[in-house]
Amino acid sequence: MASNPMQQFSVHKIGPEIKIAGIDLSFTNASLFMVISASIILLFLFFGTKEKKIVPDKIQLISEMFYTFVAKMISDTAGSKAKPYFPFIFSLFMFVLFCNMVGMLPYAFTVTSHIIVTLIMALFIFVAVTIIGFAKHGFKYLSIFIPSGVPTVLLPLITVIEIISYLSRPVSLSVRLFANMMAGHTMLKVFGGFVISLGLLGGWLPLGFSIALTGLEILVAFLQAYVFAILTCIYLNDALNLHH
Amino acid sequence: MTIPEDLKTRLKIAKSKIKKQVLLENEKKGSFIGSAFKLGTELVAAVAVGTIIGFILDSWFDTKPWLIIIFFFLGTVAGILNVIRTANRMQKED
Repeated sequence: MASNPMQQFSVHKIGPEIKIAGIDLSFTNASLFMVISASIILLFLFFGTKEKKIVPDKIQLISEMFYTFVAKMISDTAGSKAKPYFPFIFSLFMFVLFCNMVGMLPYAFTVTSHIIVTLIMALFIFVAVTIIGFAKHGFKYLSIFIPSGVPTVLLPLITVIEIISYLSRPVSLSVRLFANMMAGHTMLKVFGGFVISLGLLGGWLPLGFSIALTGLEILVAFLQAYVFAILTCIYLNDALNLHH
Repeated sequence: MTIPEDLKTRLKIAKSKIKKQVLLENEKKGSFIGSAFKLGTELVAAVAVGTIIGFILDSWFDTKPWLIIIFFFLGTVAGILNVIRTANRMQKED
C-alpha cells in the first residue's frame, strides 16, 4: 500500500451523500479531521480552564501559555486597538495549529494541506480586514494605496503596484501554509517509501531521515500556524492604525 | 575556606546567565526561520496575482498579449516591494 506519495491527500466521502441545492455537502475525511481538531481544542481548553488553580496543573499551564502567547503576539504587532479581535485570532491560531499537529499523527489527514481550506481562511481574513478598514476610516482607507512622498508623475504606477501588493496578501497567506504542509507530508511519505523499497540493508538511512524530518515537520507545523496568525495581526494593524 | 564556596556560586550565576542568552538566541532563530518562510511566497504571490490580473484584463479589452506582459512586470515590482517591506519589518522587530 501507499506507493503513491500523493495518495494521502485524497478526499473521500464518509457515510451517505448529501446534496443541498446541487451543492455536494457530503461528510468527507477532511471534514472528519476538522471536527477532530476542533473537538480536541474544545476539550483541551475546557479542561484547561475548568479549575482555576493558583498553582496550575500541566493542562492549565499549557492553555494559559497559549493564551499569553497569542495575547502578546497581538499587542506586539497590532497594538492595543486590536484587543477586540483576540477571540478570532486565537481561534484561528489554535485551529491551524491543531490541524497541522493532528496531521502529524500516523494515518491522519492533514486538512491544511489542501489549498481550498487555507484559501478560504485567507480570503475570509482579507475580506474582514478590508471591511474593518473601511468601517474604521471610511474612504480614507483607500489612502493605503497611495504612499506619501511620491511624485505625481509616478502616482498611477505606484497605485497599481500597491493594489497588486494588497491583492497578493490572501494568495501568499494561503499558498505558504498549503505548500509547506503538502511538501512536508509528501517528503515524509517519499522517505517512508524508500525505507520499504531499500529493505533491511539500506533502509536505515532513509529511516533516520524520516525521523529527523518528522521533527522538522512538527517545527514547521507550529511555525506556519504562528506565521498565519502573525500575518493576520499585521494586516489588522494596517487596517486599524492607518499610517504609511 | 570560603573561596571555593564563593567560586561555586559565581560559577552558578555565570552559567545561568549563559543559559539565558542561549535560550534567547534560540527564540530569535525560530522567528528567523518563520520570516525566511515568509519572504519567498511573498514574492511569488505578487507576481502570480499581477499576471492573473493582466490575463483577466486582456480578455476583457481584447488586447492580448500586452496587458499580461505589463502586469507581469508590475506584479514583479509589487513582489519586490513586499519583500522589502517584510525585511524592514523584520529589522524593526530586532
